[in-house]
Amino acid sequence: MKKTIWGRVYFGLVLLILYLPIFYLIYFSFSSGSSMDHFRHFTWEHYQTLFADKRLLAILLETIMLALLSSLAATVLGTFGAIAIQRSKEAYRKILLSFNNILIVSPDVIIGASFLILFTALGFSLGFASVLLSHIAFSVPIVVLMVLPKLKEMDNSLIDAAQDLGANNYQVFSQVLLPALTPGILSGFFMALTYSLDDFAVTFFVTGNGFTTLSVEIYSRARQGIDLEVNALSTIIFFFVLLLVGVYYFLTKRQGKKANKLGGLLR
Amino acid sequence: MEIIKLDHITKQYDDGFVALKDINLELESGKFYSLLGPSGSGKTTILRIIAGFTEASAGKVYFDGQDITNLDASKRHINTVFQNYALFPHLNVYENVAFALKLRRRPESEIREKVKDALHTVRLDGYANREISELSGGQQQRVAIARAIINEPKVLLLDECLSALDKRLRKEMQFELRAIQKKLGITFIFVTHDQEEALAMSDEIFVLNDGEIQQSGSPVDIYDEPVNDFVARFIGDSNILSGRMIRDFAVEFAGKDFECADAGITPGEKVEVVLRPEDLDITAPAAGKLMVTVQSQLFMGDHFKIKAIGQDGFEWLIHSTNGVQIGQEVGIFFDPEDIHVMRLGETEEEFDARLETYEGED
Repeated sequence: MKKTIWGRVYFGLVLLILYLPIFYLIYFSFSSGSSMDHFRHFTWEHYQTLFADKRLLAILLETIMLALLSSLAATVLGTFGAIAIQRSKEAYRKILLSFNNILIVSPDVIIGASFLILFTALGFSLGFASVLLSHIAFSVPIVVLMVLPKLKEMDNSLIDAAQDLGANNYQVFSQVLLPALTPGILSGFFMALTYSLDDFAVTFFVTGNGFTTLSVEIYSRARQGIDLEVNALSTIIFFFVLLLVGVYYFLTKRQGKKANKLGGLLR
Repeated sequence: MEIIKLDHITKQYDDGFVALKDINLELESGKFYSLLGPSGSGKTTILRIIAGFTEASAGKVYFDGQDITNLDASKRHINTVFQNYALFPHLNVYENVAFALKLRRRPESEIREKVKDALHTVRLDGYANREISELSGGQQQRVAIARAIINEPKVLLLDECLSALDKRLRKEMQFELRAIQKKLGITFIFVTHDQEEALAMSDEIFVLNDGEIQQSGSPVDIYDEPVNDFVARFIGDSNILSGRMIRDFAVEFAGKDFECADAGITPGEKVEVVLRPEDLDITAPAAGKLMVTVQSQLFMGDHFKIKAIGQDGFEWLIHSTNGVQIGQEVGIFFDPEDIHVMRLGETEEEFDARLETYEGED
């Protein structure tokens, strides 16, 4: 397709509109005063209060830890789940896959509410553990969905070949299956990470008194009027996520080279 | 010495499809065997059952006299070269070839030595550090062979492994495979649908169709004395005519009586007659045994493929080193030994038994 000037203008406009609120937020994180009606003068003040706010920083760290733990667990579960789905019989596979997809499609509110009901019915106290479990639960289907295509495109004779050369089941998994699935597993992990980091609805239902995540905390603070400290935090998170995306891009690019090799082999 | 024996092997899939019907075969060690048949004939299924990737529905597999029917593929002293090579894309040439030895935790010095030897056998010295994606199809093929022979298997299975190569390379690899087999002195079982490949390389060929062995024997036997019209049609080009046996060593077809080299068939029985196109010589109309009219001609480089219509309307295929005029009337000449008579529905055992009754008389 020919790239026209109007195409570029349109694309630029869309990007601008999408990023404008974020840049607006970042811009005012450097403004003195406590409101975003107009920019007064440049200051690090909000960053200073942020770094003095031990409670918010603790929540930030806990949120990141929660995201890492839940996505790690979900990646392991999801990878094995995808392998199990792929190995099951045709008709059964479709049913399993549908159950997997329902969890992705259904609204967070419903999932959050149902977890709340489940935990209270079981007498499970709400807190870090309940949030972690629900984050793992909604991340697993995402990982399954990312790993499954890699399983499908893998040449099954590779497994035969490994067995033929004397590999037992564990060796087939660790030396052939895992390397072939790595790109899918990586993207599944990063997807799970972002889903966990920015989840509000599910978390809101299952956090108890003792534990809270960043999104829930900011939400409750925002009800009492936006503090520019939140802007400063958002700016930091924005650049942190930018870094994450950069790392992901770098990793997939490297994997992409290997994937191309695979493509070359099959051709 | 017998190395592999399949005893009444059948394979039926869950959906009811019968891939193999009562396969019995015995393979001697140190020979080059081919399983030849069209796709869906069951040849790859036999290979997978020998390798241990597929379980037979009934029957037993013996390796070196031992029952290995239920032995895991990873524990069999048999290795496989796969159709698409199945090289591990995340490993380089050295790591691919060393895979089996690394699994068995052999010392590094031994691995290095053996990988070097294996790569030398397949004439890939100096390629150890290449990535798989940097290799051509023929080179990948060689790596796959090196990887499969590193464990020093007694039997090497090759699954249509030349079919992905271009024609020139395929011819080259045929010589090379044969040379590697001779050098290693182990049994090769080669699966192919390409009759030329099977004829060129094998000590013995098993022709398969519809899950049954149609005929087994040396390439020359199978080519010269096909047991039924499937084998005759599948191996090489042939002219198959219906005819009638007159008495021993005389057969009638195309409206005439001919002397032939077959016997032991009831006089008057309906038979099929096979004449190979390269056994037919084009002569002057008067000198030929049959008269035909040339219809079309293709130049194949080293010979002409000529289509001609007989007086009874039969379409003859003739290979000739010299071209002819289209529309020309010519005679075709053949010797009694060029005529091969097939009984309808005769099995290989019956054929062999009949052959023995009169071949001694020659």
